[in-house]
Amino acid sequence: MKIGIVGTGTMGDVHAAAYRRIGAELVAAYDPDPDRLARFVAAHTVDPFQSYEALLRRVEVVDLTTPTYTHEELALQAFAAGKDVILEKPLALSLASGERIVEAARKSGRRLFVAMVVRFFPQYRRASELARSGQLGRIGVVRLKRVLFPPGPGWYRDPEKSGGLPVDLMIHDLDYVRWLLGDPVRVAARRSPPVEGEVLEHVQAVLGFEGGAMALVEGGWAYPPGYFRTSLDIAGERGLVEWSSDAPGPLESLFPKDEPPPEVGLPLAGLEEDPYELELRHALTALERGRPFDVTPEDALAALRLALAVRESAAGGYVVEVAR
Amino acid sequence: MRIGILSFAHLHAEGYVASLRRIPGVEIIGFSETDAERGKRFSQALGLRWFWTHVDLLAEEPDAVIVTSENARHRELVELAARAGTHVLCEKPIATTTEDARAMQDAVERAGVRFMTAFPMRFSPAVRAARDTVRSGTLGRVLAVVGINHSENPKHHRAWFAERELAGGGATLDHTVHLADLYRWIFETEVDEVVAEVTNPFDPEVDVDTAGLLLLRLENGIPASIDASWSRPNHYPRWGHLKMEIVGEKGTLLVDAFAGHLHVWRSGSGRGYEWVGFHPDPNQGMLEAFVENVRAGGEPPVTWKDGFEALRVALAAYRSAETLAPVAPADL
Repeated sequence: MKIGIVGTGTMGDVHAAAYRRIGAELVAAYDPDPDRLARFVAAHTVDPFQSYEALLRRVEVVDLTTPTYTHEELALQAFAAGKDVILEKPLALSLASGERIVEAARKSGRRLFVAMVVRFFPQYRRASELARSGQLGRIGVVRLKRVLFPPGPGWYRDPEKSGGLPVDLMIHDLDYVRWLLGDPVRVAARRSPPVEGEVLEHVQAVLGFEGGAMALVEGGWAYPPGYFRTSLDIAGERGLVEWSSDAPGPLESLFPKDEPPPEVGLPLAGLEEDPYELELRHALTALERGRPFDVTPEDALAALRLALAVRESAAGGYVVEVAR
Repeated sequence: MRIGILSFAHLHAEGYVASLRRIPGVEIIGFSETDAERGKRFSQALGLRWFWTHVDLLAEEPDAVIVTSENARHRELVELAARAGTHVLCEKPIATTTEDARAMQDAVERAGVRFMTAFPMRFSPAVRAARDTVRSGTLGRVLAVVGINHSENPKHHRAWFAERELAGGGATLDHTVHLADLYRWIFETEVDEVVAEVTNPFDPEVDVDTAGLLLLRLENGIPASIDASWSRPNHYPRWGHLKMEIVGEKGTLLVDAFAGHLHVWRSGSGRGYEWVGFHPDPNQGMLEAFVENVRAGGEPPVTWKDGFEALRVALAAYRSAETLAPVAPADL
């Protein structure tokens, strides 16, 4: 299957590198910024295209790693051209926009995979299997953390373009908690007080589920540069799963603390399965064999609905009932 | 100084005895316990004089007592102690209703005795250092606080912890008060508002909540959470955790008050694998401060109001879970 990447920023690079490693047929790239496109095609040895339309004529699958505010227009165009779409998360900026994308896929008979990569991180996957297999008993309390440094200059910082922290970042864990527990019935969220001239933000959301389970989902663009911490904690009636990114991995490196670390090629790919490879291999295999995706368009839509509820509760200071 | 212990119902009582014995000049006159089995057992195990009734113990005229009964019986014992003219250290939560808590305050005030609330975490060196750091301004403006005080279900040690009538509530009442107090103390502010989920997902055999997640808004605008759940299994390597993450504009503090531990495997011990702490025990610091206050006088290092405000935060969580809306502790 011939794949074209549209949007050659950070996520474009990440996906392109993963396609190369899994031996997928990445053949085309497009970006409205010619300089960025030139750098990308040199780095990944793919053919540059001068327009999105031209790229669509060349490929069977289009991977949209573009800013969120462009998702709807580009996805609709791809479906109209009869292409399958791999779409970087979040699905869209609004529920209405997300619904139009999902509906366009359905009408065209083409397929939509929204790249919720957290479901493909081996520790998140293993924890989910343990929880969903019933080995922990009934799940009672889930805690999920995802806090890092604020994004650099660019569209991420603009909530009009990225949806802000709940829609851009917390959606990972909101999707994950849905995977474990389904949809909550209500959401209460609180955000940090705004800091003048800074992107710093921290949001905590408490979700209540039918039957008494609850979850605390924490997201932040609030740490000093270089820090990124995630954790999961799933407590059931008969067992518990804990994991934190603070725990050491299978390879750690010690270099003098006061010097920047040397550029050594840490062969992590050989030690651990890369979640982007797992994610994209899953998507391509499902497309080739006509199998269902682990993340359905409806999942992506429901995660977006939750993220918007978190944002609404944090802004209004009240409890939001989540509609099904 | 002569100190008595009113009731051995609370599982902290044993630890308090051990801590008191390390303080020079303190004599433990014994403990009162109306449960004969418990009275005999602890009298033998700890070599302490056992009084059948609280009145008998108070008749010995101790300088101070520690109230470690079931939560719902704190009021009765504090009123007895006040009438006997003895100072009180009262286990948390100080009561199960605001009415009882207020009656206790009236009793000690009328009698002119001092009342200290047992909030040991204020005496944890890590917590004290975190408070100093926050107050020094090093973190800049504080953006958010994430608090965890989850544990095993304590009913495996003392059944009454999970009985509504005696405990007044479950996990949420048991644990919320520690972190609520630390937030008030560290940020020198009250809790404006609480929204919470409070349920019993872990133990169908008990009639109290076993899980509670709270979102607080402090009066200074800082949002803070508390996980008060009994969500650790009873074969967990330790009873649980007390953690705080204080996210600031210029930096973040990660407090894990019991992080200092050895990994210990012992056959024949209850848990098999255990975390054995090696940092100073916060209870020791708390009891030393109590003894010092009984000696020297003045306002206790943790007051009745501290116990009362923390109780109101926990009660607000229950109210919020019922009404599905934010609740102001000050309205309770």
